Amino acid sequence: MTDTSPLAGRGRRLVATLIDLFVVPLVSVLVLLVSGVFENAEAYAGNQIYIRGFLLGVAGYLLINGWLLHTRGQTLGKTIMGIMIVSNGTSTPAPLWRLVLIRALFFPTLYLVFFFPLTLIAIIDQAFIFSKKRRCLHDLVCGTSVVVRSDVGQE
Amino acid sequence: MLNLSNKLVATFVSFLLSAASAQAQGPCEATRSAPGLERFYSQTWGTQYNGQRFQSAVNTSINSANASKLELLWVYGLSTNSPRSYPLVTEDTIFIGDGGRGLVALDRENGCVRWENTEIQDISTAIVSEVVDGRTLLIFSGRNSGVFAVDANSGELVWQRFVDDDHPIPMFSGSPLVYEDKVFVPISSLEIGLTLNPFYGCCTTSGGMAALDSATGDTLWYRPTIEEEAKVTGRHFFFVEEYGPSGAPVWGAPMLDTKRRLLFYGSGQNYSRPASLTSDAIFAVHIDTGEIAWVEQFTAGDAFNLACGLGLPNCPEPMGPDVDFGAPPLLVELATGEDLVIAGQKSGDVYGIDPDSGETVWSTRIGRGGALGGVHWGIAANPEMDLVFVPISDIPTLPKERPPQPGLFALDFNDGRIVWSVERKAKCEARSCWPGLSAAITAGPDIVVTGSLDGMLEIYRASDGELLWSYDTVTEFSAVNELATKGGAFDAHGPMLADNLLIVSSGYGSFGQEGGNALLVFTVAEEQSP
Repeated sequence: MTDTSPLAGRGRRLVATLIDLFVVPLVSVLVLLVSGVFENAEAYAGNQIYIRGFLLGVAGYLLINGWLLHTRGQTLGKTIMGIMIVSNGTSTPAPLWRLVLIRALFFPTLYLVFFFPLTLIAIIDQAFIFSKKRRCLHDLVCGTSVVVRSDVGQE
Repeated sequence: MLNLSNKLVATFVSFLLSAASAQAQGPCEATRSAPGLERFYSQTWGTQYNGQRFQSAVNTSINSANASKLELLWVYGLSTNSPRSYPLVTEDTIFIGDGGRGLVALDRENGCVRWENTEIQDISTAIVSEVVDGRTLLIFSGRNSGVFAVDANSGELVWQRFVDDDHPIPMFSGSPLVYEDKVFVPISSLEIGLTLNPFYGCCTTSGGMAALDSATGDTLWYRPTIEEEAKVTGRHFFFVEEYGPSGAPVWGAPMLDTKRRLLFYGSGQNYSRPASLTSDAIFAVHIDTGEIAWVEQFTAGDAFNLACGLGLPNCPEPMGPDVDFGAPPLLVELATGEDLVIAGQKSGDVYGIDPDSGETVWSTRIGRGGALGGVHWGIAANPEMDLVFVPISDIPTLPKERPPQPGLFALDFNDGRIVWSVERKAKCEARSCWPGLSAAITAGPDIVVTGSLDGMLEIYRASDGELLWSYDTVTEFSAVNELATKGGAFDAHGPMLADNLLIVSSGYGSFGQEGGNALLVFTVAEEQSP
């Protein structure tokens, strides 16, 4: 990898996200099946269903992406699409805590809030992809950018 | 987070409704006054403690001579498409749960709101009353939100409680009954619906009955319908553990025998196998301790849940027939002076039961029965005529061998003999036009008031079943609160008689019936002295 890895194309990023959106729930269902977190009545009392659902999603995400993110700055989708998340201006993977807490948890959780004007955050976040640097709002907050891995051809 | 979201949404909806009401209720401004609380026209869901749903001439002036003169007095638009609250009526007020709007006290002469409590969004039962420390409380349940006591004078919340037991997901479907400072609360379970989730391990919860302190809401005793703890009985998808026995919910209100100090109530089917000996049964329980006097099961081995309708993994094998006791039992005094408990089952069976032993004295089978009745919500009796009136739904659900007999049946309660019957005919072909009687019915001095699944409100003469009056409620109404209002199927709690008023909610869309939101108040003009 060089210091000037080219920015990932919007199309590749979109496909990578779609792959993750498909794979993470599948893994979460496997976790659900094995762990039995939704098997008993207690899981549906009070706010348990939302708490457990959230933790299940986190578990599924980390199980499939945790090691990849830590070592290569990639999710499964990004691996397949040959792109990676780096600390902005470098070619090194961003720290895992930033990738997980800010990119994977904080912003997607905001997407789930249905109250105006918070609902606009999802649109604003994604709209930033059309900026010259192709950095979404979550990239700006996280200090990351998404680039093509140097061993993979450009889009 | 979601609870907070719900509260914000509820507050927003309440704000909109209040704003709409403020505009709509100009003529009602003067009626925002405290309700009269001197006279109540019912003690329980079953009108009296004995559950007969019989309103004598002392409490209603509507009878066979003037029923044909009933006219619509006013209509109130409820904020739900499946009204499920049964009103409490005083000398000048109707208290009723108004769906998402909360609890309202309406001027019974014109439907104007005296007060409203928007905190309680899911009132699902009859409203009963009790005087505690000089203050009249309205007591009722929210379907998922617990048991409530509200000050009848102001609408202020006094207490809210869940029953103290190990039940994680109770559902409050049956109406509470209040007697001697105790609130008796029937309990069913959300688990019947969770079975639709194939990753759910069905099932561990039991139905039950609880007694709460009417002053505080504290639990005094709790009696589950299944004492045995559920154990693992199998697996599906390799990992999902199945449990049993479970279920036997108490869907309906209890009935009280004050002489024996026994509470009688019916139970539903098991949710999973093995089936228990207490499903589809009638319970007799001591009101002071919750100890069981007797339990008598009428259909053994009945296990069913909502997964069965879609062929999902949680459906017990074999399934059904799903013929619980949804309708509360009632108590009558026979010509011999002996007492008899009468209970109607979704199978279409009606039983006369010895209140001391649980032994069946007589039984009569009517119609086809099914998952939505047979007898579904409630029967009524006329103690002056020795008759029990049995509404039959027979709406097609599970395959049955016998032909349907939707209609109204009058049985001599001394021996169970059918005295007369009225088979109702469909007014059109659609399922929403099914002519069966699923809602509970009400008896007056010499009349029976019924509401049918096809939206017809009818009054029959009690002595011979002659139709005296009918009113098609499947139409749009102009409501006093100016909400868009239409009638639909009659289901759930059914009609109420009070003085010269006939009060009923039209519309119920929970199981594919015709939804609606019309609270209808009919009246007969009082006779003028010459």
